[in-house]
Amino acid sequence: MLDSKPYPILIGVVLAGLLMVPLAVRDDYYLHLFILSAIFVVVALGLNLIVGYVGQLSLAHAAFFALGAYVSALLFFRLKWSMWIGLPAAALVTGATAFALGWVILRVRGHRFVIITVAFAEIMKLVATNWVDLTRGFMGLPGVQLPVLYVPGIGAVDISSKERFYYVVLAAAVFSFYICYRLVRSSVGRAFVLVRENEVLAESLGISAFRYCMIAFVVGAALAGAAGALYGHYVGFVSPDLFNFSYITIMLIMVILGGKGTLIGPVLGAVIFTFLPELLREASHYRMVIFATILIVATLFMPRGIIFPLVEHLVPERWRKNRDHAS
Amino acid sequence: MPDLSILGQHLLNGVLIGCAYALIAIGLTMIFGVMNIANFAHGEFYMMGGFAAFYLVSLLKLNYFIALPMAVVLVVILAIVIQQVVFKRLRDAPVMTTTLVTIGLSLLLEHLALLLWGPQPQAVPTPFPTRPFSFFGIYTTPLYLFSMAVTAALIVVGHVLIQRTRMGKAMRATFQNREAAALVGVRIDRVYLYAFTFGAALAAAAGAVLGGFIPVEPTMGGIATLKAFVVVILGGMGSFVGAIVGGLLLGLAEALGAGYFSTGWKDAIGFVAVILLLLFRPDGLFKRA
Repeated sequence: MLDSKPYPILIGVVLAGLLMVPLAVRDDYYLHLFILSAIFVVVALGLNLIVGYVGQLSLAHAAFFALGAYVSALLFFRLKWSMWIGLPAAALVTGATAFALGWVILRVRGHRFVIITVAFAEIMKLVATNWVDLTRGFMGLPGVQLPVLYVPGIGAVDISSKERFYYVVLAAAVFSFYICYRLVRSSVGRAFVLVRENEVLAESLGISAFRYCMIAFVVGAALAGAAGALYGHYVGFVSPDLFNFSYITIMLIMVILGGKGTLIGPVLGAVIFTFLPELLREASHYRMVIFATILIVATLFMPRGIIFPLVEHLVPERWRKNRDHAS
Repeated sequence: MPDLSILGQHLLNGVLIGCAYALIAIGLTMIFGVMNIANFAHGEFYMMGGFAAFYLVSLLKLNYFIALPMAVVLVVILAIVIQQVVFKRLRDAPVMTTTLVTIGLSLLLEHLALLLWGPQPQAVPTPFPTRPFSFFGIYTTPLYLFSMAVTAALIVVGHVLIQRTRMGKAMRATFQNREAAALVGVRIDRVYLYAFTFGAALAAAAGAVLGGFIPVEPTMGGIATLKAFVVVILGGMGSFVGAIVGGLLLGLAEALGAGYFSTGWKDAIGFVAVILLLLFRPDGLFKRA
């Protein structure tokens, strides 16, 4: 299991468990955390494609998340278009932006790439802050509502309650996981890993590093954009604060500590690092200090992350065939 | 026709901010050139310099002119610890590792500052009269002039140290070719330590001096890092003189941009320049291709 062969029974059990969450968790606050987790699973899966699979450190991912939130929120705020249009529009716009950005920056590597992605994120923040006619600047966009779901045969279903919206974000998370799974398990995924491990070798075999980095970059950004749209409509308020550097740091923590370059690692990372900060709320001043320390230590001494190796360790040996593909 | 005295005002502000940018960026560009690390935690030294000066003056009631160098010494001690504990392990590490660790370090220092000193902005008390005076129609304060003199002097001192001392020579040699430098007896570990602490000291000095009129708060380091990166890219990564010229250029561009164009958009000038430069002139504005 883990990152190799799909185990139908296990997947069934996990999915059933996830579907039962709103029945088992009656507490609104914990349900809220489950919803946020699912949204950040989508974000982390996207970032993982770029950071984990093609091995480029993009610090623009949080900006794509915020851009998606803005696209969908603006369509709602200015044109009264619902999230059902806003969400795909957000994915499309962020994907297209990533394509345009990638077209110029995926030709450079290393520090230059990292610094350009930072500069891009900062410019996006300045646009959101200063284009007041469109975005209302610091005032943000309030009152971004969730849409009504039309189910054939049943009619309009209100999904604004947490119990119901949970299923929407769960579907998004599962769908994103499926996309990443198919991508990573295909020849594209193998090309990703080769580009990450040895770009020169990849190029010599006719595998264009530019092309595969672009695929990871665009799909990753589109996922971040879609997640941003869900987040904006769920929270109901979108402001330039979404562009703060702390978002990209927490996203990186999810992916790196979860285990970059694996599928299940970033998913668990997203869930754990959504719950942990909230559970550590009592020690809120200490939690970022703790996380930062863990990030430093893990990057230096545990390049495979913490959560994935841990989970792998807990899984019985016989489930672990094919694991060579995993890392 | 823009008013000339206002132009003078903008130029003065631009040069002051530019000197501060240069002072912070010198350390960043040195760490980049010598150690090949993009240090996202560099601005935190600037932040800590500000806090150290604030506490030395306001809490310990130290004389302002003694507190400034002492603040720098305190930050240097911390920088040595950070270099020995963290940066020593980053030698020859891939970009992903060095960047993630320095981002983590930046986060750590910022939130430690938040924890220890709280989020409220502070101002370093100074002995200077706060009344502005004018010459040739340009308004300024004694503190402004003092800060400008100190930052400019430190830049010159830094330049002389790099150009005239043995250690400066060793740093330049390491930047040009690390293996060859090691081969002729340059102690690379020593060079790393000196370059790192020297850079941290300059950033801390900038924080301590500017803390008189720029609010000292835990989040100031992150912004400083970004600005310093812009300067480093403008001047060419690893170039000392480039950092000075780049710093002044960015300071002036921002002051004029804010004065004649828009305060909100002034920060965009640097970031747009960075993207264009990294794509088309990765060695900076001044180096011939």
